[in-house]
Parts: sequence; C-alpha cells; structure tokens
Amino acid sequence: MPELPIWQFDTLFLIAVVLFGITALAMQNLMSAAIVFGAYSFLMCLIWTGMGAVDVAFTEAAVGAGVSTVFIVATIYNTGVSAKPKHPRVGFKLFAGVIAVATGALLLSALPDFPAWGDPQSPVNATVAPYYIENTIEDARVPNIVTTVLADYRGFDTLLETAVVFIACIAIYSILRVDSAKATVDEPDIIASPPAYDPTDSLIIRQASRIMVPFMQIFALYVIAHGHYSPGGGFQGGVILGASVILLCISFDLKFVLRQWTEKKIMLLTALGVLIYAAVGVACMFMGGDYLNYNALDPVLPGDMAYARYYGILLVEIGVGVTVMFSMIGIYMILASNGRFKRGL
Amino acid sequence: MEEIVPKFNYIVVVILMMTGLWSMLAQSNLIKKCIGMAIFQTGIILFFISIGAKDNASIPIVAKEPVNQALGQAHAPEGSQPQAKPELAAAKAKDYPNPPDVNKLTNPLTQILMLTAIVVGVATLGVGLALAQKVYQQHNSFDEDEILENQTK
Repeated sequence: MPELPIWQFDTLFLIAVVLFGITALAMQNLMSAAIVFGAYSFLMCLIWTGMGAVDVAFTEAAVGAGVSTVFIVATIYNTGVSAKPKHPRVGFKLFAGVIAVATGALLLSALPDFPAWGDPQSPVNATVAPYYIENTIEDARVPNIVTTVLADYRGFDTLLETAVVFIACIAIYSILRVDSAKATVDEPDIIASPPAYDPTDSLIIRQASRIMVPFMQIFALYVIAHGHYSPGGGFQGGVILGASVILLCISFDLKFVLRQWTEKKIMLLTALGVLIYAAVGVACMFMGGDYLNYNALDPVLPGDMAYARYYGILLVEIGVGVTVMFSMIGIYMILASNGRFKRGL
Repeated sequence: MEEIVPKFNYIVVVILMMTGLWSMLAQSNLIKKCIGMAIFQTGIILFFISIGAKDNASIPIVAKEPVNQALGQAHAPEGSQPQAKPELAAAKAKDYPNPPDVNKLTNPLTQILMLTAIVVGVATLGVGLALAQKVYQQHNSFDEDEILENQTK
C-alpha cells in the first residue's frame, strides 16, 4: 500500500460526488433531480476547497449550487415535472452506454502518463504558473493571485468571458421573449393550472427575505471590493447580487421586482458592465499604453505604477460584477415568466 | 493499487465525464440532458483543479510575513515620513515575502481558467434551458420520443 498523497476525506467526497451525479440523473421527478444536482454542486465545492481552489469553490457555491438550481426550477415551474420516458429505449441506452464506456476506457488508457495528484513539479505547476505567484505583489500589490491573473495578466480572456455571458443573455432573450401584446399564436397561459398552495403567500418567507436581502447585497459588494485580499471578485459578488434580487422575485412576486428593475434597465445594465470593462481598456490606449495595460493609467490613479494596476483591476471587476448580476437576473426572469415578463415564480 | 491511488482524481474525472456523456446521449428528457451537460462540465473543471493542486500547499493568496509585519508595527509610531498614502498602507510590497514560495501556494492559473468557465457554464446552461422551454411550448413535452412523434404527425 503506497503512502496516501491525498487525505481520505477527499477520496470519500470524490466517491460521494459520483453517487450524487448518478442519482441526479436517475430521478424520475425533475424537481428532485434539480435539488440533488444542487447537493452535487455543494459537494464539488467542498472538494475544490480541499484542493486549495477557494475562489473556484466560492463561484461554484454561488453559481452551480445556487443560481443554476434556481434556473432549472424556474424552467420546470413553467413546464412539466415528470421525467418518465414514454418509451424505455433499453437498446439505445445500452448502445449509448457502450459508447460512453469506450470513451472512458480511451481516456483511462492515458492514465500512466499523467503526473501524480499533488505533484508540485508536474508540467502544469512548474512552467508558467510560478511567474504569476512570484510577481503578483511586485506588479500589482494584490495578494490574491487569482484576482491578478483574472483581471490583469489574462485580462483579455476575462473580457471575452464577460462578453460571452452577455451574449448568452441576448441569446436567451431572442429564443424566449414573447411580446404578449403582439402574440397571435394561441399559446396556453403561463401556467395551465395554478398550484394549490401559493408559496408567495407565506408571511415568514417574505419577512425573512426582506431582512436578508440588504445583508446579502452588502456582503456581495464586500466580496467585489475585497477580492484583492480574499477569495472573491466580480464574478462571485455579481452572482450574489443577482441572487439577492432573484430571492425577492421568488419570495414576493416577479411584478414586485419589475416595478424597480424593468426589462429595459436590466438589459442596459448588462451591456453597461461589458462596456465598463472595454472602456478601461480603451482608456489605457488613450493614455498611451496597450489595450488593458493598466500601467498607462498611472497619471490619473493614486499611488505608484503598481497601484495603477491595483485600481485598474478593481475597475474591471466592477464591470464584471455589473454584467454578471444583471445577466443572472435577466436570465432568471425570462425563464420564470416564460418569456412574457409579466408574472412568474 | 500503486497505480490507482495517486491518480484517483483522474479516475473520478473520467467516471463523471462518462456519466455526463451517457446522459446526453441516452436520456430522452431534455432537462436531464442539460443536467448531464453540467455534470460533464464539472468533471472537466475537477480535472483542471486537481492537476493544479499541490501537496501541503495553501490557497493561492500571498500571506504577509509575520516578522516584517511586527517590525512595521513597532516602527510605525516613530516613522517620521510614511512612504505611501494612508489608504495605501494595507498592501506595501515590503510586508510580503519576496518572492513567495512557489511550492507552498497552489497553482492559480488553472483556477482562474475554471472560475470563468463556471460562470460561462451557467450562461450556457441557461441557453439550453431556454431552448428546452421553447420546445416545451411547441410540443408540450420534454420527452424526445414524444416530440418526434408530434413532428411526424
């Protein structure tokens, strides 16, 4: 028996995660599948924390376990819950299983070539990554290396990822949005039969969320602003801000939130976030530097050259936060209201 | 066993990817396909995170050096001219180890790649769910077989 390079808890969680994933797929009720999938995401989060990836675990807790579960539930709310197949399709399932196992075997055949788990000298750990670790303080005065790499060293990457979130939001709008005034198709109303028990009636839930939401939002702003020193940043803070508004949508009513955050505002603010990010890059060019090279902003920002990058990172994180927050709210609203922006979950 | 134990993470990754792939191929329910896609995606993320993990390493945040910090506090009252503005005093370069010990911090690069992948993943999941919802509006079902029957009718 070789010495275990990993702790037993990790092994336990890894086995549990496989079981949870299979359970989520085996459920006959889609609502249960969504909840088990949320639990699966939380377990993943624990595993990643154990591996030292706190920022990723934070994002997964907010996004994977929180928002994606809510998206699935919102979709199911407008459609059906049952996942009972009409035909069992046993033969086809076996055939698909053979393909999946063959793919897995092909991947596993490469197993001896991989470095051992936790090897600090493996190619991925020993080539480019040490540069980031050694230079983050010197270059940007940001102790959280993930934030520096995210917004500075690989700023282009993050700009385009933010744009992808924005584009996905537009895609969902163009797929589902229905102008109910112009709708000529005899589509059924949003919900064929309203649920017997209306959860929005619960006084306890409404009061509890009324108290929770301001604290969630302050915490989210803290996560964005303190991302330089601790796990967090624009993505996580933006998702939490979005989740706080989604909580209001669920506990009160979609109409209640739409009074403040109209569809137009949400769409404009989603675009504004990407624009802030891109504008910081353009500002760098106007100041005589390269695109997204924050050193060029030194004359207008306080502190020395490294602090120009420090504040540049903060500016683009705010842009990321705005886009992510409003795209999450927009996607939720359009899924929950079946594209009509009138009423919903 | 000696081959498997140090590489257990890769085996779990492959199992998760197989589960996701099978679900995308074989499940007839569109929402289940979306969940399968998300499981496939977490498998890939787990792969990236586990190759970036290091033994006995901490999270990728550079910690202040305790010695310098103590010295800085001791000298603070008598220091006649602060070298930085007060609001910038929090992250002076001299407070931090230079350079930090690479082997004591996990790999940040794989983490940031996966951090953005998660957020993009939820956006693509949203697109998938929106498509499924649109299909439901047309056919009143998530079941592939029923949708096909409706179309041929």
